[in-house]
Amino acid sequence: MSSSKSRWADEDPEADALIAQRKREKEEKRRAKAEKQRREEEQTQLQAARSQSATASPNGDSDAPPKKRRRLSNEQQQQPTSGVDSQQNQVKSNLLQFPVLEWGPCRHVDNFERLNHIEEGSYGWVSRAKEITTGEVVALKKLKMENSPDGFPVTGLREIQTLLKARHQNVVFLREVVMGNKMDEVYLVMDFLEHDLKTLLDDMREPFLPSEIKTLLLQFLSGLEFLHSQWIMHRDLKTSNLLMNNRGELKIADFGMARYYGDPPPKLTQLVVTLWYRSPELLLGAETYGPEIDMWSLGCIFGELLTKEPLLQGKNEVDQVSKIFALTGPPTSQIWPGFRSLPNAKSLRLPPSYSSTQKGTAPPLLPRAKFPFLTNSGLQLLSSLLALNPAVRPTAAECLKHPYFREDPRPKPKEMFPTFPSKAGMEKRRRRETPEAPKRGQEAPKLDFASVFGGQTGGDAGEAGAGFTLRLG
Amino acid sequence: MPQEIAGLKFLSNALATPEQLTSSSSSIDGVPTDLETSVRFAGAQLTQSAGILLRLSQDIIAQAIVTFTRFWLGPEGGSLRIYSAKDVSAAALYMTAKLSFQPTSPRSVLNVYTFLLSKEASPLWFVNPRGLPTEPVPEHYHLTEGGYQAQRHILLQIESVILRTLGFNTHVALPHTITLTYLQTLGVASPAVARRAFEHLNSSLLSPQLLYLTHQPNALAVASIYLAARENGVKLVDGEWWEVFDVDREDLGFLVVAMQSMEGFARAESEKWKGRMLPLDTEEVDAEIERRRMLEAGE
Repeated sequence: MSSSKSRWADEDPEADALIAQRKREKEEKRRAKAEKQRREEEQTQLQAARSQSATASPNGDSDAPPKKRRRLSNEQQQQPTSGVDSQQNQVKSNLLQFPVLEWGPCRHVDNFERLNHIEEGSYGWVSRAKEITTGEVVALKKLKMENSPDGFPVTGLREIQTLLKARHQNVVFLREVVMGNKMDEVYLVMDFLEHDLKTLLDDMREPFLPSEIKTLLLQFLSGLEFLHSQWIMHRDLKTSNLLMNNRGELKIADFGMARYYGDPPPKLTQLVVTLWYRSPELLLGAETYGPEIDMWSLGCIFGELLTKEPLLQGKNEVDQVSKIFALTGPPTSQIWPGFRSLPNAKSLRLPPSYSSTQKGTAPPLLPRAKFPFLTNSGLQLLSSLLALNPAVRPTAAECLKHPYFREDPRPKPKEMFPTFPSKAGMEKRRRRETPEAPKRGQEAPKLDFASVFGGQTGGDAGEAGAGFTLRLG
Repeated sequence: MPQEIAGLKFLSNALATPEQLTSSSSSIDGVPTDLETSVRFAGAQLTQSAGILLRLSQDIIAQAIVTFTRFWLGPEGGSLRIYSAKDVSAAALYMTAKLSFQPTSPRSVLNVYTFLLSKEASPLWFVNPRGLPTEPVPEHYHLTEGGYQAQRHILLQIESVILRTLGFNTHVALPHTITLTYLQTLGVASPAVARRAFEHLNSSLLSPQLLYLTHQPNALAVASIYLAARENGVKLVDGEWWEVFDVDREDLGFLVVAMQSMEGFARAESEKWKGRMLPLDTEEVDAEIERRRMLEAGE
């Protein structure tokens, strides 16, 4: 490096002179500044010495001030350096400092001792492990590498890339990536969290209190807002991917489906998000979509927190769509302009009575009977998140400002959160009842939604799906 | 890390440490520094050319070149005597494209590299010093099925090696977009300045001073604007405007000089290797080191 650095110096005497000139100017400024500072310091020292000699005992007097004065009255060499320091500090404080980041090779997985298996997700096996040198307990996730004719699986690459970028208190912290002996043994080392929200909900007798739900949602939203601000879509938000520790902290995990998006949105696969949390535009085959799909999943999770049960448990894509429409009412071209042009919407036959009953473009409120303990503003937030039209769903940033979080009961402080016995700590987590995220590389199904409304025209949209007869199931 | 700074990752890069800059795996293996510089320079150009032929956008190509350059750095980086520059170039480009909005297939990548590395048909001066043949001879750059299978295996293997060596740090922030933002902020409407600034940014990718590995994108952007404006005779605002973009005078001075020296460096390189092929794989690097040893012994 030193040789290449000297190259430009030799080649550019003009620029060199320029730099030298600048340096001289800077040096002069520094000297002047140092001189000024020195005088000021001398003044204060003098004053201090005076006041001290007036009050202190002869003993103390002989101790402190001369020491300082000696340093001060020393040769000028020392003075300028301290002046330079202070000036540099000043300059630096004006300029923004970027995070100091480096890269280095992966460490070996043998630095960790595996303790117990936690779960098997769609993109890897997770176990609890201990870093041998520090004794810290971490979660070790082995990436699945089979079936990768195109080299390192892009999903794994994206998971690492997005997690490395998503440094936020509500996103699980990826410490490092380690490798085994073989090239295809890749492990993500992450902070270990005791719980996932799905297991907690399953084990609880009563759902979370409204104040607790707000705390959870606020943390979730804050993490999601950060992800979206970094152009990251999670694309597999569900309660089993929300981890919690015993300090009441919630963190978004499992970025196996996450990826960057752009504006305008690139063409993406519709085969994302676990079925129960998948938004209607994905189910209808939209080829471009955005972070609104995460907001839909968030709405489903909100509902799940309220009732302790997954909100929309479809058996397959068609059933999922009919469950969604049963809850929200069917789409109309008023509330969701353009939904007709989505690939899978062609087979969708809507009951004719609906197109006229809906007025206005705002999404209708969800049936109150379904969420009896939710306040009006809470229902309004939930309904807007579960709006069929992705364009009217609020962003995470907008949700954070929603009045629901400001009204009583206030969010419970994290520290006051109840603690729970950990499933992940000791034993294998129970087998998931939720369906898994779709596998990459599958063909997007051409779905026939002709049967969504069972050929019958429904009654009134207000009652939770009472008007629909579903042929499926 | 405070949240505002964590959010800045989008605009910033991991930078080389002083240790990574002072010694490299190749130099430990006895590759002379100037040879390493030349090979890195040629490898970056190879990546750029391949990216163009693959019709990838420049942001992907630029990211691939940065990844390629990072790979060789430091005592724990890759050594030119163990890994072939041409393979690392191909794998870096393939991997970067895979993560982008424009993924490409191993076959396309390997077809392009076979063409660019053909000693008869390549348009690259450091591969085919005799220049392009008058009549294209497709046999010279045809990738056989067997060759494809073998090359594909290497491509995917080197991809993993790169990932391991970089600790999966595939994020590369580029200065190009913020350069445009800064130009707008400065009220510079001249397309010539913008074009020239981009030219400086793109040629800096090949810099022997590894500018993209030592400076943040905002500093590169400011330096390219400063230089482009001066070359075009466009006057920028008075005062130390670069501080608005968080660049101090010293960094700006260094980068401007480094960017200015690129042309001379490129000229010197092509002069130095005139009529000869630049070693782009391990065997050629070994042969070049041996050749130099013999020359020295002969003197």
